[in-house]
Amino acid sequence: MNDRLLDFAIRYGFLILLAGMVVYFSLAAPGFFGPLSAAFVLQSVAITGILALGVTCTLVVGGFDLSIGAVATSALMLSAYSMVILEHPTLVAVLLCLAMGAFVGLVNGLLIVKFRVPDLLATLGMMFLLIGLQRIPTQGNSIATGMMLSDGRVAEGTFSAAFLWLGRHRFDLVIDRLLPMPVVIFVSIAVLVWLFLGFTRHGRLMYAIGSNARAAALVGTPVNRYKIAAYMISGVTASIGGILLAARLGRGDIASGNNLLLDSVAAALIGFAVLGAARPNAFGTAIGALFVGILLQGMTMMNAPYYTQDFVKGAVLVAALVFTFYLSSRRSGAGH
Amino acid sequence: MLRRHFMALASAASLALGAGAATAQQAPAPLDNPGDVTIALVRYLSTGDFFQAYLSGVETQAEALGVNLRVLDSRQDAALQADMVDQAIALGVDGIIIQHGLTESMRDAAQRAVEAGIKVVAFDVNVENDAIPQIEQSDYLLGKLALEQAIEDNGDSFTAGYVYVPGIAPLDRRHVAWEEIKEANPGIEEAARIGTLDNPIANANANQARAALQANPGISVFFAPYNEFAKGVKIAADELGLSGQMSIYSADISTADIALMREPGSAWKATVATNPAVVGEVSVRALALMLAGEDPGASVIVPPTLITQTFLNDENIRNMEDLGAKMPQFQHADVAMADWMPLPPR
Repeated sequence: MNDRLLDFAIRYGFLILLAGMVVYFSLAAPGFFGPLSAAFVLQSVAITGILALGVTCTLVVGGFDLSIGAVATSALMLSAYSMVILEHPTLVAVLLCLAMGAFVGLVNGLLIVKFRVPDLLATLGMMFLLIGLQRIPTQGNSIATGMMLSDGRVAEGTFSAAFLWLGRHRFDLVIDRLLPMPVVIFVSIAVLVWLFLGFTRHGRLMYAIGSNARAAALVGTPVNRYKIAAYMISGVTASIGGILLAARLGRGDIASGNNLLLDSVAAALIGFAVLGAARPNAFGTAIGALFVGILLQGMTMMNAPYYTQDFVKGAVLVAALVFTFYLSSRRSGAGH
Repeated sequence: MLRRHFMALASAASLALGAGAATAQQAPAPLDNPGDVTIALVRYLSTGDFFQAYLSGVETQAEALGVNLRVLDSRQDAALQADMVDQAIALGVDGIIIQHGLTESMRDAAQRAVEAGIKVVAFDVNVENDAIPQIEQSDYLLGKLALEQAIEDNGDSFTAGYVYVPGIAPLDRRHVAWEEIKEANPGIEEAARIGTLDNPIANANANQARAALQANPGISVFFAPYNEFAKGVKIAADELGLSGQMSIYSADISTADIALMREPGSAWKATVATNPAVVGEVSVRALALMLAGEDPGASVIVPPTLITQTFLNDENIRNMEDLGAKMPQFQHADVAMADWMPLPPR
């Protein structure tokens, strides 16, 4: 009986907590409950959620990617540079960013598998490199239409309407102009990553690499290729996040992206606890991001200051980690 | 090498021209021979448009004077910044500008520099030293002018949202103005207070502002006394489709902000700003006055300028350079001046 209760708590505890939180905020904060509010919560987690899905892929192969925040802000600067200064069309800007993300992922992967640099250190180095690199072309200035260039010209390019559409368009659903484009992209990527990791041979091999790379290699898995692929996925998703951020802000903003990194890693780790998975998984990551988003939206509506929000975010993360590591180990202990 | 020669020639030429134009304007010693004078800029904050522009102001004014400039950047490391002052002392510089920093870590270092006979000015950090003038952009006035404009546009009774992060010195000083205005106008009701410095700042504040606006649909004025905050509130207002029903008042300005304020139907009605490049120039001029044995005063305040959406549209201003041209008080502040002081070319 006790075991079954524990099992139930591990499997559904986090989802019940999520539902309880929604009920509480709906009662306590006027305007919290409704389709518009839901769409906005989703929008506020879309970018960190997309980054978190990328980091989930690297966690699956037993790695870690600290450079995602910097990749996102590099994509932000690159898209602005491409459109505002080089006056490229939308498609070129987007493709440049995606290529940059894939390239950074490739370099990360090669550093880790070919040069045997530990994953945390390789991606940490890449993070610093990118934070510096993205500022070199503009000497540390943000990029905006009308800015004075170093040769005295005025930048005439603009963020094209099609690019801004990526971050700002809202589809009609139930009510007019409800569902923001970034949310659609977030959900699509979540479904893709979920299908890929959970239901394809490639995904299963990646989990196998994560739990025992040597055993996976012995049965003939090309471990290095899969690891590199995981970092490339992470780089590309991070650059998608950066593109959406640029489209929302409408300018190339100087930012380190450290908060993006921390929030998305938190979402991925909270995801371990969802449905008692005790391992990285796409569904959990999406729920984890949503959990943090709902919490912050509700607290802001109730006028809670920013430091309490950081505190609560931390508390949720610690609780989720306890769920994952302590309760799950007890469950598997009881089972054997 | 070639460039350095050219610059030396150019500055020699401009000095010669200056001397020719006004014979009595010979700079006093040691600035009559500025090639032998070295000043150091010791920075605490350097990342971002404001600090970049401040640095460019310091550079252009130093170049106009003809003095050598060393830039020491501690990148938000308070201990390193204090060490850098000692480095500057060891280098034998003639003057030091301390740009931001923490009172606790900089007080002793600044005192050591003064004892070494070096002239020191401090920008936006109080080093508690009577021998060191404070350069300030008046953050209190920045907040006050923006709020006075808000009252002029919206009357003295409205429901307001406010963005504030306590513990950040300039925001704390702007906050004083907000408290005063609320005190003086009981009709102003603060319905929501948000604020975060999570980066990217505009994005994080947009999420918060949206929640606040949803929870308090009656808000008609948002006071966001920092341009990144204002940008966040504007994104939220646009996303909620509320831009026509509310007004944003802010502080600081950049080229990107000008574009945002001028968007058709933009809720961002006015901002109050000091040109950071001008603040940089004033810092160098105050130091030059001290080197020449003159007294710039215990505090040198660079006055802020009110910039409204209407003004930007009427004058068709696209960037900071246009703004400087159309608003001379934004391009040059008439403080820390002397007859002999060479100004950067406009």
